Order: sequence, then structure tokens, then C-alpha cells
Amino acid sequence: MSGHGADIENSVWVRALLFAGGFLTFGIIAFSILGIALAGPAHDEYMDAVDLYHHAEDEYKESVAAGHSIEGDHYDELYLEMEKAHHHEVDAHLSYLNWKVSGNTILVMSIIFASFIGIGGLINSLRADVEHGDDEHEHHGSASPIVFTFGIMLFMIGFPGFSNTITELLTGTDAVIGEMLIGVTGLLVIIIGVANWWWEDLPFNGHGEQIATSAPFEGEHIRKAGIWVFIMSEIMIFATFFSSYLRMRTGWCTKWAWDNDMCAADATGYDIMTASDYLRPGGASGTGDFWTMLPGGINTFALIISSYTIVIALKTAKAHDWSRPDNFITKFIPQPIMKIIFPDQKRTVRNFLFATLLLGSLFIVLKLVEWSHLVAEGFTVSTSQAGSIFYIATGAHGLHVFIGLLIMIYLVFKADTVGYDKDNAQGIEYFGLYWHFVDLAWVLIFPAFYLY
Amino acid sequence: MGDHEVIGLEKWLKDNTGMDIYFWNFLVLMFFTLFEIGAVFFDTIPGTDIKVPLMMVWAILIVVGIIKGYGIGAYFMHLKGDPSIYFRTAMFPVLFVLLMIFGIGLSNPDGVDGLPAWCTPNWDYATR
Repeated sequence: MSGHGADIENSVWVRALLFAGGFLTFGIIAFSILGIALAGPAHDEYMDAVDLYHHAEDEYKESVAAGHSIEGDHYDELYLEMEKAHHHEVDAHLSYLNWKVSGNTILVMSIIFASFIGIGGLINSLRADVEHGDDEHEHHGSASPIVFTFGIMLFMIGFPGFSNTITELLTGTDAVIGEMLIGVTGLLVIIIGVANWWWEDLPFNGHGEQIATSAPFEGEHIRKAGIWVFIMSEIMIFATFFSSYLRMRTGWCTKWAWDNDMCAADATGYDIMTASDYLRPGGASGTGDFWTMLPGGINTFALIISSYTIVIALKTAKAHDWSRPDNFITKFIPQPIMKIIFPDQKRTVRNFLFATLLLGSLFIVLKLVEWSHLVAEGFTVSTSQAGSIFYIATGAHGLHVFIGLLIMIYLVFKADTVGYDKDNAQGIEYFGLYWHFVDLAWVLIFPAFYLY
Repeated sequence: MGDHEVIGLEKWLKDNTGMDIYFWNFLVLMFFTLFEIGAVFFDTIPGTDIKVPLMMVWAILIVVGIIKGYGIGAYFMHLKGDPSIYFRTAMFPVLFVLLMIFGIGLSNPDGVDGLPAWCTPNWDYATR
């Protein structure tokens, strides 16, 4: 294997296929349980609730037509029955969406994870082993990021055609396969770039890290400086979402502002519904309660916990003389469980990286479940400006989380095969900076879009 | 998140509790997240009839956001302890962010409704 560092045979990449199989198996099992076994009965219950509601609605209309009920009388017995049936139908629909969307999301994510690590691993396992030295002057630079970026550029250029063709294929309309050409080429270049990047990084043992030789980062690792400059650009991207949101939000008369006499003097009532109106208890839509805030709340905790798990992974990797932790918390954890969580230094790093991967995946699943609820309640990307900015801002953040997960799969793979130690833990550290930034962005997005 | 000398509060916490600063930072982040959700969830201060006004909710969300941002940036991203160039790099876009938030976000209370027509050609959402 080329690159600088440990001598590793390309056959180690075959293990990536095991990872892919593991992801696929997990996805199929989760889909079978959530998307079929639990969603099936929930769907039947939903259909029953729909029938019940239509029946109650017909009874009420017939009663109004016969003059037994007065239209608009909200105390009428049949009207109350109809409203009760409607609420039951909505609850049954959301319950069905919980299972169906989570099952589907886990399956799709598993397929993407499996494809990503599986194809990359397969390509690398087929490459011929190349001898490499341990020359202290050899650097750890790589052209792969440029290839990867070129692939992204091609994919973005071809995305409209790619998206159209996929939609046409899924809906059974006439599809022009040629329209996908640029997008698919972009995807191929991305995969080749990423696979080569992994191939170069896997043997990296910490020697040959490039050091900046001039101001302002003189003496610092170039990769670390690079990730900070990247984060700087990311701050600007999220700032555009916030400034757009503030610009629109200051022009809206929301129910919250209306209740607090903060709308314009000529306002006659609140004029727009935000996502928080659907989610917050006491919000304008009347649908918000503890349960509607729960996914966003759990997601916030999931990201914070995942930030901590990656810190533990890094600390463990960097420990000079590692031993199983012994403190006032671990005293309450039974020894057999402690041995599973903290088996040895190498596998502890892997376990905590894997825990980070699981928590990030949970974030994506809950995010899509929550979106499906909002869409079912009529809050879509095209509903209003509030819908547009909500889905674009939270969607961009979700995309960052998802990209982070794809990178994390490789980190777990490296932790499981070559392993991280005090010399080569920079990979976790630099990725951790990105992951913490994603957490930080959520710290701002959550109150701005969900609570306020 | 690099190696650095453990001093001050970090050393005190480690010596007296056996847990490092990352653990305590994690607990602080968890606590303040609960606090901000509670601030929105409860219309009145629990156990009293005192209404939580919108301005107070804003203040809580902003203050908690600053505390959590500091916790993540300073300790998890290790801006506290790393060479100052990283802190300066992180702060560099703040000027532009403030300009953007003031210049775009807060200087036009009409929102996009107040944009000239050439800015929003055939864009129905502009008029909601």
C-alpha cells in the first residue's frame, strides 16, 4: 500500500465488505421491524381511523342537511364526535408515519453506508500492494481531495438531470437515461476520489504530517489549519441562513408576537405559521405538545452526547498509558458491561466512534420523522417563506450531519483495522472539529427554528 | 482537542472529582439544553402563576446559546488551550456575520415584502 506509514496489505480492505454486509443486514432487519411489522398494523389503524372520520363527517353533514344540527355549532354532539374522529385520524396518521419513515430512512441510510464503504473497500482491495518507505521527509499530502471536489462539482452540475431522471424512473414516466450522465460521472469520480483518499490515509501512522512554514499558522499542522479555514467558510454559510431568517422573521406577525403585542400597529392578527407554531406547546396551530417537541429535543441531546463520545474516542486514542476508567460513574456500571464498552485501547476508540455514528444516524432518522409530521400537518417547503427557510436551513444542517456520518464510517473502519494511537489520532481530532461545529450550528438552529 | 497543560479550573475539577473538564462541560451543555426547552415548554414559571414573557424567553435562548456555544467552542473544539491563531481564525468571520445579520437580517423589518419587484421576478412567495 502506498502512502506514508505502517505496512498494511490491501487485503485488509476486504473487511470493508463485511462492514457493508453488516450495515445492509441491520438496515433490512430495522426496515422489517419498523417499516413492515410495526408500520403495517399502524397503517391499518390509520385506514380505520380515516373511515371512522368520514363516517362521522357524513353523519354530521346529513344531520345539518336534515336540520337536526346547526352548522357552526361547536357544541353539537355530532360535531364533537366528528372532531374527536378527526383528532384520532391525525394521531393514527402520525403514529403510522413514525414507524414507516423511520424504517424507510434506516434502510436507505444503510444502503448508502454499505455502498460507500463497500465500493470504496472493493476498489482498494483490488489494487496491487505497493512498497513504501518510512522516509521522515515524505509528506502526507494528497491529491484525492481535489479529485473528490471535482466529482462534487460534476455531480452538482448534473444534479438537475440526475434528479429528474430518478424521479421519472420512480414514477414510471418516460425517462431519458442520458440526462443522468454528468451526475453519474460525478458520483463515480467522488467514489474514486474518496476510495483513493482512504487508501492513502489508512497506513498513515502520524509521521510526515505537513507543518506550515509561514505566518500566520507557522509551526502548526497544515491539515488542522485547513479544517479551521473550512469551518470559517461554514460559519458564513450558516450565517446566510440566519440573516435570511431574521430578515423574514422581523417582518412577520407570528402568534407569539401577536400575543405579546409586538406586531405592527395596523396588524389585525397573526399572519404566518412558523415551524415552532406546529411544534411548540401553545403554538398557533394547536398541534404542539410535549411529543411534538420530543424529536428536536432528543436530537439536541444526541448531538451533544455524540460530541462527548468523539472526545472520549480521541482522549482514549491519545492516552499514553491507557487503563479502563475508574471513577464515581463507572463504579455503578457492572464489570461485564465495562469490559464490553472498554475492552482495550484500540477497541474502545472504535466503540466510541461507532457510538458517535449511531447517535448521528439517530439524528437523521428523527429529523425525517419530524419533517414527515410537519408535512402531514400541511407545513411544507412551499407553504410559505417560513416553510422555505425552515427546510433549507435544517436540511442543510442535516446534510452536514449525513456527510459527517459517511466520513465517520471510515474512521470506524480504520479504528477497527489499523487502529488509532497517540501518533495518528489527528484524523479523529480534525474530524471532531467538524463534528463539534455541526453540533454548534444545531445549538443555534434549534432555539431559532424550533423554540422561538 | 489537542494535548495541552491541565491548569486552573480544569486541574481543580480533575483533582477533586476525578472527572476531566470535557465531562463537566458535557453535563453543563445537557443541563442548559433542558433549561432552554423548559423555558419554551412552560407558559408560567413552574409552581407559580407568573407568566414567562416573550422577552424573557428570548433572553434565556440567547444567554443559553452563548453559554453552550462557549462550552463547545472553548472546550470541545479546544479553542481554549490551542494557539491563539485558531481562535483568531474562528473569530475572523464574526465581523462578516455581524454585518450580514445587521445589514440583511435586522435593518429591514419589512422582510422580503419590501424588496423591489426586480428582486423577485415572478416569485409568488415574495408576497406570501
